[in-house]
Parts: sequence; C-alpha cells; structure tokens
Amino acid sequence: MVDLQDSDGKIWKIQVSGSPVVPISIESDGAAIDSSEISISLDPRPNRLVIHRNGVEQVAFCTKVGDKWWVHLDGSVLVFEVIEPGASASGNSEGELTAPMPGKVLEVLVPEGASVSEGQPLMVLEAMKMEHRILADLPGIVTAIHYAPGDQVDAGAVLLDLDTENE
Amino acid sequence: MAEPEWMKSAPTPISSVLVANRGEIACRIIRACQEMGIEGIAIQSNSDIGSLHSEMADRVVNLPGTSLADTYLNSDAIIEAAKTCGADAIHPGYGFLSERADFAKSVTSAGLIWIGPSPDAINSMGDKVTARRRMEDASVPVIPGREILVGDNENNTIDSLVDAATSVGYPLLLKASAGGGGKGMRVVREPKRLQQEFTAAQREAETAFGDGTVYIERLLENSRHIEVQILADNHGNTLHLFERECSIQRRHQKVVEEAPSPILDSKTREAMGAAAVSAAQAVSYSGAGTVEFLLSSDGSFYFLEMNTRLQVEHPVTECISGIDLVEQQIRVAAGLPLPFNQTDLSIRGHAIEVRIYAEDPSLGFLPATGPLAVFRPPEGPGVRLDTGVRQGDEARIDFDPMLAKLIVHGSSRDQAIRRMERALQSFVILGATTNVGFLIDIMRHESFIAGETTTNFIDIHYPDGWNTENSNSTAAVLAASAEFMGLHRNHAKSSMEDSGRTTSNDPFLLLSRRFP
Repeated sequence: MVDLQDSDGKIWKIQVSGSPVVPISIESDGAAIDSSEISISLDPRPNRLVIHRNGVEQVAFCTKVGDKWWVHLDGSVLVFEVIEPGASASGNSEGELTAPMPGKVLEVLVPEGASVSEGQPLMVLEAMKMEHRILADLPGIVTAIHYAPGDQVDAGAVLLDLDTENE
Repeated sequence: MAEPEWMKSAPTPISSVLVANRGEIACRIIRACQEMGIEGIAIQSNSDIGSLHSEMADRVVNLPGTSLADTYLNSDAIIEAAKTCGADAIHPGYGFLSERADFAKSVTSAGLIWIGPSPDAINSMGDKVTARRRMEDASVPVIPGREILVGDNENNTIDSLVDAATSVGYPLLLKASAGGGGKGMRVVREPKRLQQEFTAAQREAETAFGDGTVYIERLLENSRHIEVQILADNHGNTLHLFERECSIQRRHQKVVEEAPSPILDSKTREAMGAAAVSAAQAVSYSGAGTVEFLLSSDGSFYFLEMNTRLQVEHPVTECISGIDLVEQQIRVAAGLPLPFNQTDLSIRGHAIEVRIYAEDPSLGFLPATGPLAVFRPPEGPGVRLDTGVRQGDEARIDFDPMLAKLIVHGSSRDQAIRRMERALQSFVILGATTNVGFLIDIMRHESFIAGETTTNFIDIHYPDGWNTENSNSTAAVLAASAEFMGLHRNHAKSSMEDSGRTTSNDPFLLLSRRFP
C-alpha cells in the first residue's frame, strides 16, 4: 500500500499485488474506486506498461523524475509524488506568497507593514522578458519582504509574508 | 565540396551558410543547407554545447559565454566566426538578430552574403510608424493609431498619451514601436488604467528591444489574424504564397496556426495577396517575408506589420504550397530568380501547426522547466516535427519556452484536425509540463472545428486557463501505473539514466512476455 499525491493535492491509496498481470485496489481521498476491471502488466520496452481496462488494452508511459512519477496515457499526463510515511503534507503554508516561476524581481510595489487588499499587486517579476504581477490572495498586512528589485528568485521561493489574521 | 547543380548559374554562389540562431529553426535551416548540397555551420553558446542544432551541423563555432549579449546577439563575434570558418553567407533565422538592419549591414560590409531583405527594407518595416506611412503611401489599408511622443517632462508625455488615446478610442492596444512577439504589448479597456499600462509597456519595450518608444492603436476585437507569405527575388518578381491564419493566440503569442484560413473567400484572398505584394514592393523587398493583416468581423482588412524574416509558422505554407521557403531564401540570396510564377502556385489541402511550449496551462501558462526524461514525438503520414530538443535535453528558462512545432498536412481541414489530435495524443513528453493536453482540447473544441478562430478565442473559451480533466477512473489508472512502475524500478529508468545499458536480463521483462 502506498500513498500518492497528484498535482491537485488529491491523495491516492494504491495497492498492487502479483505479477505479471496485477489486480489493484484504489482509494481516492478515502473513497474506494471500482478497479475490478483494471489490471496492469509490464511492456517489454522501457518506460512502458500495458493497462487492461474493460477488455481494452492501452500502452502507458511512465518515468520517475526526482521524487515524482510522470505518467502518460492517451494524451493525458499526470504527476504523482510518493508520500513517505511520516512526512508532513507539502504545499504553501498560508500567508506566504511564493514565486510561481524562476525569474527576476523587477519592482516591489508595497513597503513592509503595508495594509493590502485582496488582489492588490505586491511585486512585479520578470521571466522570458514578460512581466508577471504577484497579487495578494487575501487582504492583510505585509510583515516581511524577502527580495529587492534585481534579485533572481527560484520557483517556489517565498517572496513576501502576509499576515491575513490581524488585518 | 563539388558545386551543386542549382548553383551553377548563380551570380553570387553560396557553398556554406552560418546559421546565426539556435533551437528548432537552426536545425531547420541546417537541414535545408544539407539538402541543397552546401555546408550548414552552427554557432553555440556554452549552455548549448551538445544541443541538437550543434550536433546536426556540418561544423560548429563555439561563442564563449552563456548570456545572449555574449552569444546569439553578439553580432561582431558572429561575423568574425563566419569569416574564420570561411562561410559565404549568414542566415539569421527568426528572433535574435534577424530583424536588425545594422547587423544585416555589417554582414554585407564584411563581404558576406546576408540571407534576408536589404537593411533599408528591414528598417522601414521594423519601425511601426515608418511602416504605417509607407503602407498608406502604397494604398495598403492601416488600423487607426498614433505614436506616443515622449515629452521633455512627465506631464507632457501624459498629455500626449491621453490625447492619442482619446483620438484612437477604447479599447486600445499599447505596443513597442520596435517590437514583436507580444513583448511590450498591453491592452487598455478603460482610461483609468492607461497610465499604469503605458509605464509597464514602456519598460518591457525598453528591456526587450532597448527602445522604449510605445505606439498606440485601436484594438479590433473579434478580429482574425491573417498573414500572407511573400517571396521576392532580385529580378523584379514578387509573389505571395497564400495566407496563414494565426488567430489562436495567448497574450499575442501564437499557439495554433493553419493554412489556408478556414473562412477566407477567394475574392478576399486575392485582394489580401495583392495588398501583401504591394506592401513588399513598396520597400523593394527581397527574400521571404510575411505581411500580417487583421481581418475585422465586417470583412475589411488592415495592414498590421511586416515581418522581414522567416516566420515560426512557415511550415504550414510549405505544406500547402509544396515550396521549401528556406531553399528559396538561399537561392534568392545567391542571386537566382524564383523558379515559378504566381499562376504556378495553388493551395493543396490543409495544414495545421501547434507550438509545443514548456508551460503549465493550469498555472496561468507560466513557463515550466525540467528534464525531458521521455520525449517521444508522433510519426506517420502528413506529420512533421520541427524540434530543437530531443530526449535527454532540458526545458530551460533562459530562452523561449517553445520546445518544438508539430505540423500536420491533410487533404481537408477536417482531416488535418483529426490528424493533429491523434498526433498530439501520441506525443509523450515526461519530466517537464507542456501545453500538449491544452492543444488536444483546442483540436476537440467545437468552435475551433467550426473555424470560429478569432484572436480572443483563448480568452473567451479558457478564461481561467486550462486544467487536465481526467475522469476519476483514468486518474486512478495512472496512479496505479505509477505505483506499479515503482515496484519495477529497473523498468522505469529513464533513458538518461540507463543509456547503453541493456535490460534484457530483467526477470520482470521475461515474466511479462505475453503469448497470444
């Protein structure tokens, strides 16, 4: 049994047993999914496996990059992260505004301590020579600004802290 | 190398071409050179060592450095490289130095052949204000618009801005006078946002093109973006190779392009073709170029701009006309006349191109990065892939996020759409998020199928971006696949990890043999 988390944050509990053609049991966010008509077998070619579903066979492509599984089936791609037991759920903690992509800080539009409204632009980032505005997701007070104009930031870097409680 | 047959009568023979570009377009041009029996020479920055375009080339010159200014925008180093390795000509591709008249001039003064139009033609079309004037003089219709004169103080500039906005009318478009490709371009719907957007447009224009001059024009909504391909030689022949429709755009970056347009009637096609030929003749154009028009909902069309270079979406024209545009560019630069005339040309079938971007449609189309752990393009009749990457490469942010262009050609638009849908479905890219799923969705969209492709298509039909909508059971199958593959780790080694290693002794592989 393993827990996988997709990019929407949904948790999948999967149990696969046996080989070469395996029955599986699947739970999605706690609810069991009927998988009686689904089985999987390996395809002899690398990165490929065969899905048997309701009497139809399809080839899926699958590879692991870092700690994520990338799966392709018929034009759809999903990415799953294996949740190691004991690890806390990842994701942005509330009140932090993070860089959605790597880039350069062009402009900081608010000072520390500023009271901001929802949707207000706080920072301007540049990537690929295009400007992207970082907006406040909730009303609040800017408690810290971590970067200055000209700084390079990585995707996921915390740009500003926003106190949304004591507004 | 023996002189190829086609070059025997050329006034200025070309036996080697240095390609001043990278990525898919460098590969495309090198391939054309090799087909013509001449040498294709690549340049590479340090970060492009081992990239597809430099591997494909007959020779490669390393330009030390990783920044654009040191490498692909370094005109002195590029010209020096061409001279050192004895290249006869320089092909600029698109982007980078392709529309820089000063570069074209330096190339010719260095005694090399410039594969492109004259510096004068680049200059007149490159500056949108001059281009408008030249088009008005040549009786080519233009969109109502004005340039913003930056005054000696801020108040003067604002006055001039407000004045221009009022005379043009809302909604309006701010664009970089020197630019293209959506950079420095802003839509303003109401006067109160005018000043803010102007400042942003000016800054983007300054960063991207080194020229902050902003041009203002009326935004024609529900219009279509239709462009006409031009070919001209130095013997007085200027022809058009019909139109491409590039209406499906996002932030003025094209996403889907097709030829011919799904709605143009033959009368408008002829009128537009003739207007494009007049536009090219007005600047004594030579080589391949593109005249862009906006076709408004009432059927009238306006000159938008002329791109004085090869266009990203040129393959759809090649499919329907049967003409290799890069080959013709090289022949024209060698001084040869075009080997066909207007009446020899006709439209055969329908072609569609999609741009495969490393970007996340569910996150506002933000550029995505990552290794191309699996990159397995589709194949088959009528399927063409122009790619600058292959499996094992990385999607990076230092250049354009476009990975490749997928082009299909069919006997009808319906067949081309079905072909593209199938091709996209079997295009496997794992390791970096791409827009492939979004493109499949467009191919299935009833408005696209009906040919209702206006420039606001994506804004109307995908206002919140696009998210993979898998049925719960498909997602479950994919999750189970991941877990299953996890149990069989040896099988999941990406080709990057296990290059050269055989897995034939893997017991799981033997076990999984299926016997009919």
